Amino acid sequence: MTNIDVVLVDDHLMFRAGVRASLDDSVNVLGEADDVDAAIVLVRSLQPPVVVLDVHLPGGMGGGGVEVITACTDLLGTVRFLALSVSDAAEDVVAVIRAGARGYVTKAISGADLSDAIRRVAGGDAVFSPRLAGFVLDAFGAAAGDIATGDDELDRLSAREREVMRLIARGYSYREVASELFISIKTVETHVSAVLRKLQLSSRHELTRWAAARRLL
Amino acid sequence: MLCVTTERLPLRRPRGGRWIGGVCRGLSAHLGLPIGVIRLVMVLLVPVGFTGPLLYVWFWVTVPAGDPVQAAMDQRPAALSRLAPRLRDPARKLPLTDIGVGLVLVIGASVLIAARNGADITSTWVLPALIMLAGTALAWSQLDAIQRDRVRSHTGGRTPVSVLRLAGGMVLVGLGIFLLVGRNIPLDDLLRSAIAALAVLIGAALVLAPWWLRLVRELGDERAARARESERADIAAHLHDGVLQTLALIRSRSDSAEDVARLARAQERELREWLYDDRRTPGTSVATDLRAVVAEVEDPRAVAVDVVVVGDAVPDAGTEALLQATREALVNAVTHGRAPYSLYLEVVEDQVEVFVRDHGDGFELSTVPTDRFGVRESIIGRVVRRGGTATVQSRPGRGTEVHLCLPRVSEGER
Repeated sequence: MTNIDVVLVDDHLMFRAGVRASLDDSVNVLGEADDVDAAIVLVRSLQPPVVVLDVHLPGGMGGGGVEVITACTDLLGTVRFLALSVSDAAEDVVAVIRAGARGYVTKAISGADLSDAIRRVAGGDAVFSPRLAGFVLDAFGAAAGDIATGDDELDRLSAREREVMRLIARGYSYREVASELFISIKTVETHVSAVLRKLQLSSRHELTRWAAARRLL
Repeated sequence: MLCVTTERLPLRRPRGGRWIGGVCRGLSAHLGLPIGVIRLVMVLLVPVGFTGPLLYVWFWVTVPAGDPVQAAMDQRPAALSRLAPRLRDPARKLPLTDIGVGLVLVIGASVLIAARNGADITSTWVLPALIMLAGTALAWSQLDAIQRDRVRSHTGGRTPVSVLRLAGGMVLVGLGIFLLVGRNIPLDDLLRSAIAALAVLIGAALVLAPWWLRLVRELGDERAARARESERADIAAHLHDGVLQTLALIRSRSDSAEDVARLARAQERELREWLYDDRRTPGTSVATDLRAVVAEVEDPRAVAVDVVVVGDAVPDAGTEALLQATREALVNAVTHGRAPYSLYLEVVEDQVEVFVRDHGDGFELSTVPTDRFGVRESIIGRVVRRGGTATVQSRPGRGTEVHLCLPRVSEGER
């Protein structure tokens, strides 16, 4: 297996050291940054295949991880971002995903799982934690009546995508989802990528209303 | 999200996606209507007495610019918002009550004219002077009231009473001047000059209104920001205190790995909640109740449960029973199964579903003796009695998953 170069962006030195130590041998840490401005400079100069990015970062204009991704939008074809955060808050997660991150994991993740997620993101797949799947269901409406009829529809999930999201939210791994639905892992990955695309591109105004409502009550 | 969709975003003119002043986009966010409809209505109102543009300009002047979502967030009580900074710049907010003063004044003016047209009881200057004096006193006492309110509360010191006092004072003063000046002037001339004076006043008010509004707004913002800041400082102090105590406990029990893990997990949960979640008012959210149930199960056993919640509802007797059953299922999972444990709650319009999953060896439900298995009564029985369904799916090597499903009783049937 070829090594994957990553750049680590997090403002806590201890945490970066911990992540670097826990990653397995196939992941090679090219560089580290600890605030928004340094991260943008580093990512633009190194152009690593994967950037592991904390959502909450000091510096810049206060936009955190979202600002880093936005400043590197032109590189999104070659550089892929994996958001890593201690926060489970919907607004944070959805903001980085919509900015262009290919996945989201919490900092409680084990080293092996993180390495796995990095490999997945490097391979062009999306990484969905149960939490993120839950947010997607919440944002797109969990009720069964709201189902996309065509593949090109961005504002609703298809029945299959909803099923996959629900299983992931219930704690199933991609492998378990595949065997539960009698489909291949590749198909699960395709569904997840499609959902990620919808989450990024959908202009459905409920998304912002939903994000607001999450904070309101 | 059923219980929150009725929540309206406050009226603001967003900076993004606007064509002219952001009025249509703001209205669309506020009313929850598609932007196209609003714009169409505005255009259709142009031939109707030029109402569209007038309405537009009115909103442009009176509605503050800002992100509606951000504004909605700023209106939350500080104690319920998270401590950590948001990712975006906060927008400004404003209460718009002050326009009411103008309306009161207009009404006062018409009352005044009506009184002048009625009986002429003002042949001396004493009565008008007295009225003026009373009005001035009333208006000036208002200044004191504002000072007091500012100290006492942080809402901005602009209570309905204070507005009434100011308006009443101004009406009285106006009436006094009117009667005093108009003692020996024929009604005709008096009316004409009054109208001229009024016109000048209105003109000046129109020119100055935006500045005045902005001043009022900035003052209110500044006060609210200061209040939020101090409230946040209190919360931070409370939080740091809690962390300190936990750290002290961890140090004193450092020989017991289980205790340390438990303390760390509990503190982590509390800290995360304060920092990143917007807390809900107690008793209004099944999701919050569920988290409390999870905490009850996690803490004594030093385990971590992955909780995912989709949707939310106001708790009722049904969800109460469901949460009790969920608790039993969780206890069962962490005692007999293996980590990782997952819990998924989904609230949709007509039902609430819960999945509790562990990664243990699994078992055959039929092989478990009826008498010693808590699953039957405490989990399945509870939900079935409420008209729901409960299934336990366990496959050797693939863990156990408990699925609880409860139909929701709508408001009318309850």
